[in-house]
Amino acid sequence: MDFQTFQQAVAAEAASLQVEEYELYYQVEESASASAFRHELTGFSAANEGGVCLRCLVNGKMGYASTQLLTQKSAQALVRRAADNAAVLETAEPEFLVEAGQSYQAANTSHAPLPSAGVLRKTALAGQDALYAQPGVVDGSETEIFAQRVSIAIHNSRGLSLRYENTVSGAVLSAVVSDGQEDGEKTDKYKIRLGDLDKLDLSAAAQEAGDEARAALGAGVAPTGAMPVVFSSYAMALLLEAYAEVFSAENAQKGLSLLKGKEGTAIAAPLVTLVDDPFYEKSAMPMPFDGEGSPTYRKNVIEKGVLNTLLYNLRTAAAAGKETTGNAAKSSYDSKVGIQPFTLCLESGSLTQEQLLEKAQNGVLITSLGGLHAGANTISGDFSLQSAGFLIENGKKAAPVRSFTVAGNFFSLLKNILAIGCDPLPPASPSSTDFVSPSVLVEGLSIAGK
Amino acid sequence: MISREICQRVLQQASSTGADYAELFAENTLNHAVRLVGGKVDSVHDAQIAGAAVRVFLGLRSVMATTVDTTEAGLLRCAQRAAEALAEGKAEVSITLRERLFGDIHPIRIVPSTISNAHKVSIIKEACAAASNENAAVVQTTGSLLDVDHHILIATSEGLWAQDRQIRTRLGVEAIAEINGETQSARFAPGARAGMELFDTVDPKAVGEKVARQAVTMAGAGYCPAGVMPVAIGNGFGGVIFHEACGHSLEASSVAYGNSQFCGKLGQKIANEKVTAIDDGTIPNNWGSINIDDEGAPARRNVLIEKGVLKSYMIDKFNSRRMGMEPTGSARRQSFQFVPTSRMTNTFIAPGNDRDEDIIASIEYGLYAKEMGGGSVNPVTGEFNFAVNEGYLIRGGKICEPVRGASLVGKGSQVIQKIDMVGQELLCGQGMCGSSSGSIPTNVGQPLIRVSSITVGGR
Repeated sequence: MDFQTFQQAVAAEAASLQVEEYELYYQVEESASASAFRHELTGFSAANEGGVCLRCLVNGKMGYASTQLLTQKSAQALVRRAADNAAVLETAEPEFLVEAGQSYQAANTSHAPLPSAGVLRKTALAGQDALYAQPGVVDGSETEIFAQRVSIAIHNSRGLSLRYENTVSGAVLSAVVSDGQEDGEKTDKYKIRLGDLDKLDLSAAAQEAGDEARAALGAGVAPTGAMPVVFSSYAMALLLEAYAEVFSAENAQKGLSLLKGKEGTAIAAPLVTLVDDPFYEKSAMPMPFDGEGSPTYRKNVIEKGVLNTLLYNLRTAAAAGKETTGNAAKSSYDSKVGIQPFTLCLESGSLTQEQLLEKAQNGVLITSLGGLHAGANTISGDFSLQSAGFLIENGKKAAPVRSFTVAGNFFSLLKNILAIGCDPLPPASPSSTDFVSPSVLVEGLSIAGK
Repeated sequence: MISREICQRVLQQASSTGADYAELFAENTLNHAVRLVGGKVDSVHDAQIAGAAVRVFLGLRSVMATTVDTTEAGLLRCAQRAAEALAEGKAEVSITLRERLFGDIHPIRIVPSTISNAHKVSIIKEACAAASNENAAVVQTTGSLLDVDHHILIATSEGLWAQDRQIRTRLGVEAIAEINGETQSARFAPGARAGMELFDTVDPKAVGEKVARQAVTMAGAGYCPAGVMPVAIGNGFGGVIFHEACGHSLEASSVAYGNSQFCGKLGQKIANEKVTAIDDGTIPNNWGSINIDDEGAPARRNVLIEKGVLKSYMIDKFNSRRMGMEPTGSARRQSFQFVPTSRMTNTFIAPGNDRDEDIIASIEYGLYAKEMGGGSVNPVTGEFNFAVNEGYLIRGGKICEPVRGASLVGKGSQVIQKIDMVGQELLCGQGMCGSSSGSIPTNVGQPLIRVSSITVGGR
């Protein structure tokens, strides 16, 4: 059955069980992708996925259940499951549904249909040509071209009815380069480009990936010790992503973030301003409403070193006696409403990356980080992470280094930022949550190499 | 779930443009998880995943189409999309499906969906209370009980029509301890391909006490020193070192594309002769076990490395074509939404002859990594990393003070040559492994081992 009929079946079951307050969140994703390897098409996929999540208020508790099966029977089961799940909850904070009638900022979205299979295939092969035009590129260099059309609808018993549609397309080019020796060294880098497939500059992306992979060949091991570190924009964005959850009011209220009670106090160096922007100009998925349907807006999370606000949804805002910041989020249609930033962006400073290296004099430029899911503890802030990059010698980028670690603490790092770059920010990722930063010079970190 | 006759018509449609292989994968899964924060029920996740994927091959090309519309009309449309994207030819194919029963080597005694939320809550509460009561320094706890009932159907143009029901249960407890302003957390999550009978062998109280002790120990610990040193890695989840350093690089998804340091090395000595490593999906009721893989091949025990010599890769059907080798029962996918590929099941280093006390005594100055966290690897370069959740310095062959914030990094092909002592007591730990075909349950395991030298990241 279609969503509208399913919605009616849910409404009827809710009425019969006297469930008066509820919300249906419906998400559909149509997507297609083509991949190529050794100048040949190897894979193609076409997906039609999504589902419905019901959340309902029973005795003040919010129960959830979801399904991908749109039938009369599953609609009835959905209401019963959500009500049963509400019955065991012991949360003390009041829960809310969003009221209808609020105003929403317009978002710059695309209503383009998905590109045809032929266009995806042609672009995938063009990506292979671009990669193999790069010196040193060997087999293993893959191209993936993708397009997705996301539709989200939120309807609740208070009359809220919101709809969002957006099409995103792009390419991932992975360059594997070799040093030319038999059984020799290989390195790899990938680049993502978003936009209309016929307008993507695949050659530029391939060149960037190829240049970076070649520059990493012949890497040595970094020295061990405390030294100045410059994080590239990519590496700093990864660190922001790993620690974004410390800005969640939910984590703070549950004692899972050390930023609890720190609003209005200095938590970073005065040159640090961290912005959360649902309408970030390069975002592929600008969002006018959040995961529970509240209007979204741009806000400074850290302003000149001071924690201006944590990120709130309706429930955590009410518990703190504040207004929501419009950061309610569902990581997938079937998940509980939590909290996420949209595009979390460290504001640019005035120095080029070369000037940051000059300022560092001797240290390490870190261009990639690994193992953030395991080596970055969001509760204590401690991290010890696999790194790769370049030595900084006498203020200049020198030999490549890899297989070393950088260790420190995220909360100390925020205070120990000495300078922020103005280098161009990389393209955004194809999701509504993204992390953007220029290069950053930090002191007080430990490097473990040889 | 879907009748044989409908499956036949869907596969015939999928083959109508000349595919040389067609497959229908359908699933109906119930994911259920109760989560507690601070001893109180905070959320219940309750999701039904239902849909199907049609996959077709023609030589070295593969196409997959998915749908959540599992009516016959919906499945036929899905098959048509796959066929059209694969080729433009015309073929009339007649497919006859025969049901095959593989038997169930992972019997389930208590299906979790037949147990009330209230009973599940009482188990988590017992674990969280034990963590809170263990030590006054424990300032917060979270706990979860996850159960998955994953019903799959696989039909292929080779005539196979098979079903499997995979039930898994897992308890997770996290404790956060604070000592003199230093906060540390510890987490332990035992699980099995089993129902609620998991708790015949897993004591929730003991799980709570274990994480509390670890969090308190680490909150009172100093930072791990950095440098290159010998490391003894504990049994159980310590096996993540083999999983990351070597296991992923033996998956066909890397090997078939030349993206592995172990390409073309079959029959060659790639590891220390002390190392025998096995991937075994047949161990009854183990977390990573399967009856059949996600292409319908029976689970297997694959010896990957025997006394240092590379014996086998892990291979799925599609990559087996490129490699010219037989599949190994290793195809796995999180759900119908993911293209299946070669993955691990229960992967472990087999027991050796060294005594634990001799391994520790052999280290003059180094690290004892008692409990490991997760990690990751880049198969192209072989560089891996993983976190040490509970570590102690070793001085003069004795385990000394605890240290925190350590990670281990290195290159897989080098580190497996440096595993030069292997203990006798094999233990496995449970993890979720993320890769291109999604997040799947895998066991890692090993006895206590010594790595003669590795880079320890600390301060």
